[in-house]
Amino acid sequence: MSSRQTNVEETYEDEENDELFVDLIRKNPRPALIWLAGVAILVLLEIGRAFAGLGQLIGIVSYLAGGLAGVPGYVGGNVAGVAGGIVGSITTAITAVVMLLLVSIPFAGRVPDRAVDVLGLDLTRYQRRWTKRSVLALVLAGGAALFALSPVGGVTALVSSGVDSLASSLPALTSRETIPNQGYRAPDGGWEGTFMGLSPAIAWAIRLTLVFLYAMVCLVWGWKGFEIYRTHYRQADWTPADDTIRRFKGNYWGLFGLAIVLLFVVLALWAPAVSPVQAEHNIYQPNAHDFQYLTDDGEVESTTHVFANLDSRSDGQGTVSPMSYDTYDRWAPLGTTARGQDMMTHLSYGARTSLIIGITAIGLGALIAVVLSLLAAYYKGITDIATVMASDTIQAIPALLLIMLLSVIFQESNHPIAQPLDGGFLLALIFALAYWPGMWRAIRGPSLQVAEQEWVDAAKSYGQTPLRTMRKHMAPYIAGYILIYASLLIGGVIISTAALTFLGLGINPPTPEWGRLIDGGQSYVATSSWHVATIPGIAIVLVVVAFNALGDAIRDAIDPEADVEESEAATAGGGA
Amino acid sequence: MTRWEYFIKRVLLTIPVLFLVLSFLFVMLRMGPIDPVAARLGPEADGTDAELMRERLGLNDPLWEQYTDFVMSFLTFDFGQSWVVQAERDILDIVISSAPATIWLGFWAILLPLFIGIPLGFYAGLNPNSFGDYTASFGGILWQALPNFWLCVLALAALRRTRDGGGPFGFDWYTFGPDFTARSISITGTPDLDWISTTDLLFVPVPYVADWTALAIDTKLILPAALILGSASMAAELRIGRTAMLETINSNFVETAKAKGLTNRVIVWKHIFRNSLIPLLPVITSEAFLLIGGSVIVEQIFNINGLGRIFFQSITQGDLPMAGALLFIFTLIILFLNILQDFLYTVIDPRVGYEK
Repeated sequence: MSSRQTNVEETYEDEENDELFVDLIRKNPRPALIWLAGVAILVLLEIGRAFAGLGQLIGIVSYLAGGLAGVPGYVGGNVAGVAGGIVGSITTAITAVVMLLLVSIPFAGRVPDRAVDVLGLDLTRYQRRWTKRSVLALVLAGGAALFALSPVGGVTALVSSGVDSLASSLPALTSRETIPNQGYRAPDGGWEGTFMGLSPAIAWAIRLTLVFLYAMVCLVWGWKGFEIYRTHYRQADWTPADDTIRRFKGNYWGLFGLAIVLLFVVLALWAPAVSPVQAEHNIYQPNAHDFQYLTDDGEVESTTHVFANLDSRSDGQGTVSPMSYDTYDRWAPLGTTARGQDMMTHLSYGARTSLIIGITAIGLGALIAVVLSLLAAYYKGITDIATVMASDTIQAIPALLLIMLLSVIFQESNHPIAQPLDGGFLLALIFALAYWPGMWRAIRGPSLQVAEQEWVDAAKSYGQTPLRTMRKHMAPYIAGYILIYASLLIGGVIISTAALTFLGLGINPPTPEWGRLIDGGQSYVATSSWHVATIPGIAIVLVVVAFNALGDAIRDAIDPEADVEESEAATAGGGA
Repeated sequence: MTRWEYFIKRVLLTIPVLFLVLSFLFVMLRMGPIDPVAARLGPEADGTDAELMRERLGLNDPLWEQYTDFVMSFLTFDFGQSWVVQAERDILDIVISSAPATIWLGFWAILLPLFIGIPLGFYAGLNPNSFGDYTASFGGILWQALPNFWLCVLALAALRRTRDGGGPFGFDWYTFGPDFTARSISITGTPDLDWISTTDLLFVPVPYVADWTALAIDTKLILPAALILGSASMAAELRIGRTAMLETINSNFVETAKAKGLTNRVIVWKHIFRNSLIPLLPVITSEAFLLIGGSVIVEQIFNINGLGRIFFQSITQGDLPMAGALLFIFTLIILFLNILQDFLYTVIDPRVGYEK
């Protein structure tokens, strides 16, 4: 049973770590329980918002699953158009099998040996590995078929609608219902419908403060969790990560960057709470929602946001400047846009758009870069040359122009991929395609270096699978580098997204985006409505500076001596 | 591997890259989600018109034949005619007529950062941790984060405001230098570059400046746009120039030079300056990369009818062959610059190709 033994060894490292962690918690559960109780309180305070986030997550996952499920049919359909129906169906099946296998490979190591032993075959280790993968792929296929063909699929719809209704019915600390800031001036001088009868400005300020307080408490508690883990549950007294954190703490420029980045993330995550008016009412469907206001004659009347927005435009003639009320007594902390929408709402939801695009693009690009660089460094030869070719090709085409061309091609043809976020998702995919070569080039040196190390040879001769060798013994070494470049590149993505939207190519209305605000305000910079183009511009500059500072600080913290070439990443968004 | 073998290997590598780029363009333009016939005739086109067009564009040929035709025509610069932007005009014609404006813009956009960014960076590196260093470094960080398109908007607004002495201290960009108000020209627009003439010197045409005023006008016209277009590279040059200077100053050969008793001037100019230029080389060549991308935005906002603006028009108006041709030309320029960069490296830095 020699094959059996090697298999046990393969999974041995992971399990040992996990068991020790669990053991340590079992021995001394108090700190962990206290911390978890704190987390529970924090979640309960924002339970409504937590469910809203969960609902959005379900939406994203089901969209992605739907998209991926459509791939085999799409590929098969294209082949069928050229080579005939039967070939098309065969291609569909082959594509599906390949995709399932690709998904199963990273997880096949976790399949218990029993699943294969049941077959009663005498397998070599190599065969066993592939049998596991096939078994997992089969299970996945069965699951997918069950979802698609039987009523089980309806359960997901049920769950998601349940989550949605919970999201709207459960309270949240920072929700608009808890601290309402929209109301109308009462004829006697006070305010109706706002939080404790305070003015909308003050009610909004209270909610904003609460949001930032809550976010800060969450952050502190998360840090506390790490400290509890470090003192009570970590095996090692010291790891290199401790030094990295210590160095980062002493870097004030980096801390400044981190603070602004966190501000940006909070603005994006709590966009519904930070904005003085619902985006749904003010931006997406202004004609379907009305509100009450006090007319000059002293009567309370009702009007829709469409009409009110028309009168509140900041277009040089009329201006609703920052920190003021418009004629309908709607509070506009950052003034209004050229189309009369609320700037703060636009800015916070625009931050959401930028953040989603930035994270998706850089995450996907980094994933491609890491996988390819590991494969190229491990297998060398033809894999390496192919990767060099692919990245050279993409880098030879001017990135910004490539992005423009691709985004226009897909949007003009109304490709379904251009639907989510009004083109934002498409843009993120294109950015990932255009930016992975830069990241790959940056980590190519380190990956080649680590592939030469003795421990990688040792792992190979020990009989570990290539995948596990790359994941456990090579990837951690390049993780720091990719973090640096990701942080430096995300600023470039944000600038480029804004630039494309400014030109009318990137994200279509109504999805809010900072570049469109600048486009709307560009004719009024020299007028009283100067704020329309200036505020989002300053926001972009701040966020990009912050991400650059963060990237520099991470680089210094990970390895002060590291010779990281900055020319590549530094020029990422420069063209825009 | 010797230096020149390394160089030749790099040159040979560009050939497959060129074909891959062409294949990519082919897939996107011909097999992509946009139907060329619909793009040309509108989405409702069908029947005989569409069929004729399909035949004319060669869409009924076998795919590999379309591919070879496509590659051959691109390699021979036979791009065909524009569909929409300047309908029925040869694409190569359009490119040649709009290239000078972009070259003029690019010339200044490379020159200005070179003469501002590198000296500032070297100054900061020579005086590390001084007030001047902090100011320059912080300026560089900020400058790099400023989006070009936003700068363009702000700069235009500020310049327009100075009309009739409206600027600070009565500054008026319109009358500053060559007077734009008197000539009633806009401060944005395409430089016509008709100040260059050629004279035959021993039967070889040699360009010379025929009209200095026109040169001044064209320079003033392009200056704000060029400054903004070059801003990102300027910041990059500043930062890298500073690091390079710091590294060189602390290297052993400078120590040696000092020990030999050389004067500061000789050390700085002969030993430090030349060696600090090496890491700056890729920055300067990669500037072209930025300029090509940035020119689309800057030319669009400053109303300059150059290649970037033509590209923008062609993709917004669905002129696919033109967009493809321009992208191909830009790619050629970049590939050429990459080779040039490798060549310069090989000449300047003897260490190239010897590392492992």
